[in-house]
Amino acid sequence: MVSLMRMPSKNSTLLDEDVMEDDEMEGEAYESETESEKEEEEEGDVKLMEPKKDSVYDRDGLGDKLQDIRWPENVGWIHKLSIDINQEQEVDVNDDLHREAAFYRQALEGTRQAFEKLQSTKLPFLRPPDYYAEMVKSDAHMEKVRGRFLAEKRSREEADERRKAREAKKLAKEVQAQKLKERAKQKKEEIESVKKWRKQRQQSGFAGGDKGSEMDFAFEDGKAFERSSKKRPGAAPGDRSGGKARQGGKGKKGLETKQKNREFKNSKFGHGGRKGLRKQNTAETTDHFKAFNKGGGPGNKKRKR
Amino acid sequence: MGKKRKHSETVVPAPKEDTAPERPKRTIMGWKDKTQVKEQTDSAVFRNKEKILVTCSRRISYRYRHLMLNVVSLLPHCKKDNKVESKSSKGATLNELVELKSCSSCLFFECRKRSDLYLWMAKSPSGPSVKFLVNAVHTMEELKLSGNHLKGSRPLLTFSANFDNDAHWKLIKEIIIQIFGTPKEHRKSKPYHDHVFAFSILDDHIWFRNYQIDVPHNESDKLARGGLDKMTLVEVGPRFCLNPIKIFGGSFGGPTLYENPFYVSPNQIRALEKKQKAGKYAKKVKAKTRRKMHELENPLEPDEFADMWKE
Repeated sequence: MVSLMRMPSKNSTLLDEDVMEDDEMEGEAYESETESEKEEEEEGDVKLMEPKKDSVYDRDGLGDKLQDIRWPENVGWIHKLSIDINQEQEVDVNDDLHREAAFYRQALEGTRQAFEKLQSTKLPFLRPPDYYAEMVKSDAHMEKVRGRFLAEKRSREEADERRKAREAKKLAKEVQAQKLKERAKQKKEEIESVKKWRKQRQQSGFAGGDKGSEMDFAFEDGKAFERSSKKRPGAAPGDRSGGKARQGGKGKKGLETKQKNREFKNSKFGHGGRKGLRKQNTAETTDHFKAFNKGGGPGNKKRKR
Repeated sequence: MGKKRKHSETVVPAPKEDTAPERPKRTIMGWKDKTQVKEQTDSAVFRNKEKILVTCSRRISYRYRHLMLNVVSLLPHCKKDNKVESKSSKGATLNELVELKSCSSCLFFECRKRSDLYLWMAKSPSGPSVKFLVNAVHTMEELKLSGNHLKGSRPLLTFSANFDNDAHWKLIKEIIIQIFGTPKEHRKSKPYHDHVFAFSILDDHIWFRNYQIDVPHNESDKLARGGLDKMTLVEVGPRFCLNPIKIFGGSFGGPTLYENPFYVSPNQIRALEKKQKAGKYAKKVKAKTRRKMHELENPLEPDEFADMWKE
């Protein structure tokens, strides 16, 4: 899309016939030169810094010729359809975006003026929606344009989604860490508070002073949340899973992975049904060399997609 | 289509005195009122009969050929012709060809060395001709240019104001108007305006853009309210950039009226690049010899500790 003009500063050496003599400067200059050349391979354009002295400029001749070919003065605008637009600001040629914007503005402004003129003639000038005729670009071509546009859009959306997922993952990690920390803190606080409460009770002289009547909190010896090895509440005597089988295996997660594994295996090795017919050649597959001898790319060949 | 063509042919040469003033004529688009009738008389005086021969040189590269075909598709009033050998005598051949095809101007795409494209715009029998170097070519086939418009609808031509600054720009502008403007009521043209050409001079080059006009409207002769503000343009292509080289007095020849003082031919540029590349090796050799000379001139002093450990 880019049309590159070499800036005057770059080609200041252009007409100097002698090659530069300083050696360390030369290396750099050469580097930049080759770079710019790569870019402008197809549309290189160099201007002289100084205008040539002996170039011809025959103003009278040009004027005469203009008078020769010019249409008569009284020709209506409708024949010419030309509009002059004064562009107020200067545009840098090498700045593609600004340049194109300037052209666009010129065309838009011109079209507005022209449409006002056309509207004042009261002639129809806008294409009615039911007017079908041959277009400059064929439908097939426009289909291609649309396809490309959609593909671009899709890829952009996909990239967006990926980025979001990545960020969410990062965030989830942090959130999880935060949660764990909070939980630990809460636990600590609760233990503290109970200890405090008991101390207070002792200090205030609790009536039943002996140990037997005191509430026994198991968590005081630090083993609070370990299950006693002997007593397994809710577990059948022969149950090796410690009652977890009844609660649903190793929790929900285990079940899921199991299912996933099964699915994967099914996709890999097939699931149910007769294999024999599927492995035989049919009329289509005999002539079909698409999958033949691909050079053993990575991945399992048996795997069905 | 056939019907329309017939009608427009009958309308145009109608003698202005006897029919026009009394009863407004019915055209394809509706009734004409008085102002239009007056214009009709105007156009009876002047009729744009521009016809353009579009051709190219032999051994043109595909990209430039596509550009030419794009231009052909934009100009319903042109005739495309066979390739012409790009010799020194091509001017005479082309003039003959233009006359043979009864055209009044010519666009000649001349490709040299399969890399440089020159565009000749010439008014045929006596008029001036301009030679451009074409840069930054993008054809209509490029998928980034997503607009589309009717084939043969008359383009609006917009020019940047600096076309009126100088004599040669004025002349070029006139030539462009005549060549790129589709004649009114040309039999292959379509009656609506749905694209606009932008010619602007930037950095002493003429930049060409073609936009589709997208404007909300219900009727064909009136814009919707606020339609002008909602108007958008979509680029259709092609794009190119013309660098004027010379303007000649005749068609494909004659006295030189203008010469671009800043112009450097692509051949010169390439030669210079080659020269710079060639200089690299020479410089290396030079540096080597210089180093040698330097070493010879300033020999090292004999080291006093050289034989210290030999005993």
